[in-house]
Amino acid sequence: MKFANGTMRAVLPWAFTVLWIAAIIFALLLFVGAPFGEAISGFLQGAFGGRRHAYLMATLSRTALITGMAISVMLSFRAGLFNIGGEGQLVAGGLVAALVATLLPGPPLVVLVVAILAAMLAGALWALIAGVLQLYMGVPLLVGSLLLNYPIRYIASYAVAHPFRDVPSGMVQSHLVPQETWLAYFPGTRLDIGILFTLAATAFALVYSYWTVHGYHTRLNGLSADFARTVGLPVRKLTLQTLAISGAIAGLVGAIAVFGIHHRYIDGMLVQPLYAWTGIIAVLLVGMVPWAVPLSGFFFAAVQTGAAGMERAAGVPKEIALVIQAVIILFVASRVSGALSSKERGGGNA
Amino acid sequence: MRIALSGVTVRFGPVTAVNQVSLGIEPGEIHALVGENGAGKSTLMNMLFGLVTPAEGTIAIDGVERRWASPQDAIRAGLGMVHQHFMLQDSMSVLENIVLCAEPVGRFGFVDFAGARARLDAIAESHGVSIDLDRQLGRLSVGERQAVEILKVLYREADLLILDEPTAVLTPQEKDRLFDTLRSFRAAGKAIVLITHKLDEVVEIADRVSVMRAGRLVASSPLAETSKEEIARGIVGGALPAPRIRKAQEPGDVVLAVDALTVPRRGQDVGPISFDLRAGEIVGIAGVSGNGQAELVRALTGLERLRSGAISLCGQRIEKRDVGARRRLGLSYIPEDRQRMGLALGASVTENANAGRDDRKSFTIGPFLRHSAMARFARALIDNYRIRVAGPRAAAATMSGGNKQKLVVGRELGRSTPLVIAENPTWGVDIGAIDFIHGELMRMRDAGHAILLISTELDEVIALSDRILVMYDGRVSGEVAGGEASRERVGALMTSRAADALGKVA
Repeated sequence: MKFANGTMRAVLPWAFTVLWIAAIIFALLLFVGAPFGEAISGFLQGAFGGRRHAYLMATLSRTALITGMAISVMLSFRAGLFNIGGEGQLVAGGLVAALVATLLPGPPLVVLVVAILAAMLAGALWALIAGVLQLYMGVPLLVGSLLLNYPIRYIASYAVAHPFRDVPSGMVQSHLVPQETWLAYFPGTRLDIGILFTLAATAFALVYSYWTVHGYHTRLNGLSADFARTVGLPVRKLTLQTLAISGAIAGLVGAIAVFGIHHRYIDGMLVQPLYAWTGIIAVLLVGMVPWAVPLSGFFFAAVQTGAAGMERAAGVPKEIALVIQAVIILFVASRVSGALSSKERGGGNA
Repeated sequence: MRIALSGVTVRFGPVTAVNQVSLGIEPGEIHALVGENGAGKSTLMNMLFGLVTPAEGTIAIDGVERRWASPQDAIRAGLGMVHQHFMLQDSMSVLENIVLCAEPVGRFGFVDFAGARARLDAIAESHGVSIDLDRQLGRLSVGERQAVEILKVLYREADLLILDEPTAVLTPQEKDRLFDTLRSFRAAGKAIVLITHKLDEVVEIADRVSVMRAGRLVASSPLAETSKEEIARGIVGGALPAPRIRKAQEPGDVVLAVDALTVPRRGQDVGPISFDLRAGEIVGIAGVSGNGQAELVRALTGLERLRSGAISLCGQRIEKRDVGARRRLGLSYIPEDRQRMGLALGASVTENANAGRDDRKSFTIGPFLRHSAMARFARALIDNYRIRVAGPRAAAATMSGGNKQKLVVGRELGRSTPLVIAENPTWGVDIGAIDFIHGELMRMRDAGHAILLISTELDEVIALSDRILVMYDGRVSGEVAGGEASRERVGALMTSRAADALGKVA
């Protein structure tokens, strides 16, 4: 009886959340005159279905980028570093990956590896600028990292609009990277193996957070910087190193987007889909618990591709699809963080 | 305001922190609540103040049963509490902290800071608690922060004042002033609850004393009907610890040499300060908090840069080295603020215990942690220092104040470095834990370690130190040998420059 009660208490809030979401979506669809059933099935199809699960692959492909960015952000946030410049680090990585791959001659595998490493280095350096600004010039990381998003965005725009532009294509984009460097697809699908890099980054982040000395020290620094200083941890070094790791992962995500999806750098391709910001929300949603980050990333990707599917299948206007997407995220996010924080309160009292 | 608690029980998960306590608090009375750390005093008062919800029992105020949804309800009902661990906003000014959540609204809906300022000046005048209202809170010493907390409650015109360990950080003079304030409160018909570990204070000021042990109320009677010995036996539940015996020993080599040290401070620099500390001696630094001790400690530990001067540890100059390098060279530090500097409260006991360890090889393999070795180390600390906690995996925040302090003391003393800097090591800690920590410091001294004891607790400095340096206004105002120290002599040096003080004492 008691057990049943406990389950009820755990399930009920979720049931209410789902009901609320359904009610609001219903009202919105009614408002635009779209059929409810078709819209919902379009949503589910768009997120998980399609011929040979093509849409699920699209969701996974997006998951790879969002989760990668989320992992990058998580490593900073757990260390108490509010690096919200993931977008800039992502763009730096993507741009450098595309430029290295188009300009560097050599065997494709070598070019690919060098380009990915260069992208990671670029992301790391871009993150380090924010760290140096904080440590040596007193610019708060929150401000510095955010503002650094803009110069790199426009540097990238300039690079692919002028010196490295693929002029015949007529678009603001770089030349294609050599086809031999494109990431392979999983057999029989249109999903590139970029997600494996994200999985590797996730595995790295898990091992790093739970089992390494460096991860332990940065966590202490994140929980209490005063404490970390008092017990003699090299706080500055930890800060810079953590930012470099975080930026390198963002750079890696940029490289995945280039070699796996777009095969070139297209102006705005990493900025407009808001990968970096979605990654931040995905991390905050699960309270920076490392193992839950990929799930959160998948959730956000599914909601986005699902909303697009709804738009296609049921003729729901794009703007309303975006509102629905926001409603789902808002309700689930408040439910999840509510559950997490009440758990924390219980733990704190015990 | 007349308060009656009846049959109150508070549970945290499986732990019963307060067990069936019934207690009356009368207006015009100072009610002392004593007991060891973890006995449930603070929890009981937090319950009364609406911070925790009782599992059973009721609160009645002037005969009316009340329930609080939050401390805001309790504050509106006229309760005020000064917590042991202050609840203040570091980034705001003193004035902003005081009016927070009780902002006086002026014309046009703006906060009437001028009005608040005038009222606070009047309060400061009549109760002798004064502080610069415009300073940023984060820059204040612990003692000054407490004054802010007391002002905050006074500002809200509470009818019941609960003070959790209020004198722990005050000098005798400051304490006397606080007690005068409390007496004037009593005369005004207000009720006062004083949580304390110091029986001398109970005897000095209380009208009624209640003793708690292991969550239960073991005694509650007017002061006149009990004695200090009886109260002490009630607290520990048996025999009292024996007084400490000091082993006579000649100090050894100089471990710490401080030469003309000056440290930047807002307004006026601290220093120049010069002294030597030798192996096998405890040098106490006494003084009213805020007279440069904090800056001195931060400069010695490497948390703050010095303006000028030299520091040598074990014969090596360290003033340019960072905290980690100094610790590796042979320095341990027990900070006064265990909540912020001593521990990372969100981390587990294991994570806290292993922080800053020198023998990194014994709990790591390459870049990886050996969790089992870390837990073993934490378990050993828990056992050796008799820390009461659920286990190594428990969050540090779940421990009581005394046990938190034991963890900090254990971690630092366990490193067995030539130099130990202990800053108010027994602040807000119960009799049993004080005795234990003092015992550990003495044992370290006898084993030939050099100990610098910075404490605003005069009795502690006098009881432990071989020599006492007194700080006043950023300088050492005098030195007294441990044997010749008396409260009066040290107290005089704490409030005036060396020359004046020596004139008076001599």
